[in-house]
Amino acid sequence: MSRTQQSADREQERITDDDGNAVESALVGDDLELSYPTSEETIVDCARLDIPEGAVTALVGPNGSGKSTLLKALSKHLEPNAGSVQIHGKDLDAFSRKELAREMGVLSQENDSLGSISVEDLIYHGRYPHRGFFDGVSEEDQQAVERAIELAGIDHLRESELGQLSGGQKQLAWIAMVLAQDTDVLLLDEPTTFLDIHHQFRVLETIRQLNEERGVTVAVILHDISQAARFADYLVAMCDGELYDWGPPEEVVTEQLLADVFGVEATVEYEPELQVLPKRALSNSRS
Amino acid sequence: MGEAQSVEGHRSAREREGWVTGRLVLFCLASTVITVVAGLVQVSFGEYSMTFLEAWQAVFEPSVIFNLHAWSAFLFGTDLPEMSTASIVVWTLRMPRVFVAIIAGATLAISGAIFQAVTRNELASPFVLGVSSGAGFAVLATLVVFSGLTPFLPLIAALGGTAAFVTVYSIAWKGGTSPVRLVLAGVVVNMVFQSLQQGLFFFADDLGVVQTAIAWLTGSLTGTGWEEVRIAVLPAAVAIAIALAGARQLNVLMLGESTARSLGMRVERVRFSLSAVAIVAASAAIAVAGIVSFFGLVVPHIVRNTVGGDYRRLMVGCLFAGPALMVSADVGARLALGGAQMPVGVVTGLIGGPYFLYLMRKQQSMGEL
Repeated sequence: MSRTQQSADREQERITDDDGNAVESALVGDDLELSYPTSEETIVDCARLDIPEGAVTALVGPNGSGKSTLLKALSKHLEPNAGSVQIHGKDLDAFSRKELAREMGVLSQENDSLGSISVEDLIYHGRYPHRGFFDGVSEEDQQAVERAIELAGIDHLRESELGQLSGGQKQLAWIAMVLAQDTDVLLLDEPTTFLDIHHQFRVLETIRQLNEERGVTVAVILHDISQAARFADYLVAMCDGELYDWGPPEEVVTEQLLADVFGVEATVEYEPELQVLPKRALSNSRS
Repeated sequence: MGEAQSVEGHRSAREREGWVTGRLVLFCLASTVITVVAGLVQVSFGEYSMTFLEAWQAVFEPSVIFNLHAWSAFLFGTDLPEMSTASIVVWTLRMPRVFVAIIAGATLAISGAIFQAVTRNELASPFVLGVSSGAGFAVLATLVVFSGLTPFLPLIAALGGTAAFVTVYSIAWKGGTSPVRLVLAGVVVNMVFQSLQQGLFFFADDLGVVQTAIAWLTGSLTGTGWEEVRIAVLPAAVAIAIALAGARQLNVLMLGESTARSLGMRVERVRFSLSAVAIVAASAAIAVAGIVSFFGLVVPHIVRNTVGGDYRRLMVGCLFAGPALMVSADVGARLALGGAQMPVGVVTGLIGGPYFLYLMRKQQSMGEL
């Protein structure tokens, strides 16, 4: 509890960035209490969560720490028992599903494998929230799709069938679909898990490029703490359904955190750049 | 470079609107040819003996085809204008059977295709989901007990179908549903409704009614006339139009529930409304042709294997392939045993069943789409 309190205090201080400018939050979770309809147990209990505007925020934490659940609540896939979520200061409930889908793109962790759809057709589905029931494809739709294909670097795959692609290529295609949605906020649930290292970097570089060129706010769950530490502007560390700590990686990633949250003994080097070197599992830290 | 890119853009734009592939066009053309040929064979047989040539001449008789009075007689039941005996036999006795087959084939195929997308289950069909037996019970009850309500048959069938579908879904639902649960729930509900249908026979007054009822339960087009066309054509047309317009929604639904929701779809609502469309489509067919087994299950598979899984193509494919197969099966039902006419449902069951078994053997996994 003291931990949560402490991080809440720190967060109040750190609403400014390096230059002392105030950082706006694109997405705010307030007093969230989350559980699944099938069980009584509260899975996430989080006083306040900020996803800063125009930055890449990585959610990290061990399996079962509630990262995905939190992301589901942020994207209105899960109705919170208590608390609310605001996007750009407006409550999520004030949006219809389509309106929300024009503000926020979401990529779930597991995407059903569809055999025979072509990559280009898949990406065009990203335009769904921008099209009415009877609308055809507009010029704008086309441009958004072309941009998404270019950004994800999968022009050579556009005619391929999704089922024929490797896991990494599939993931890039799905990401391109979300990019075609053309939203200011992007939530991604473990987009790099199960990918080979080349495609992990391709995915992360695409996200980074999107953030830098178009100022898109990104919240991404990453499995790998060292990857997250190098990649993200902000880290949100979750542990047992609570917010453990929040802030820039240099401040959040400590040997203490790795022991408390991840249950590993590790050394953290801050010079020349942030580096996490895990050594061994701590036997007594997690049951 | 810039120019090359804009050309590239245009090319892609054309392809985008052109989801119609050569294969699809060919498939539809072939289906149309089969429908026409089978239809011509169908109208050449019957009690009143005439040669093939005479029958075909009667079909293409311009004084009938371009006669508004004749069409008004067919479609609205006004008085028939004067025409030759051959024309009367072909146009009032034989052609409606072909039209009913076309309507029933198209609606059942489309209904099956929608159910397969909505439940994301390859095994789904109006029959498996209980819609057929529910609608069947309602129609049978109407025929046997409340014979005055005959003009409202599609509506009554739709009510019965909806009741059965909701029952199946609520049995199978447990925070989501799987293909196997759905099929099992369907089997249970089907059995209950079949018992109810058989129970109704005890209320039938004479043997004639029982015989009609049995023929109807196996799915028969024997003796269908313009009245059946009139009953079914409107709900069929509406359901087909909505289904074609909703093809893109079905495609998005196929991406999975959470993706569809992320893209801004109100998933439950879309599922529910498209299921309603599928029920109306199936009910239109069931009201006039009875329960034609396997049809709604197998036809979408055949079309999917040929033109691919994109619902824009699949729907159009079903719209053409359904009639072709139904009219052909009906020709088979009429001619297979020489003198006696079999119900068309017997033919579709005998061909559809083994075909489906073959599909199951060929594919590694069956179930989730």
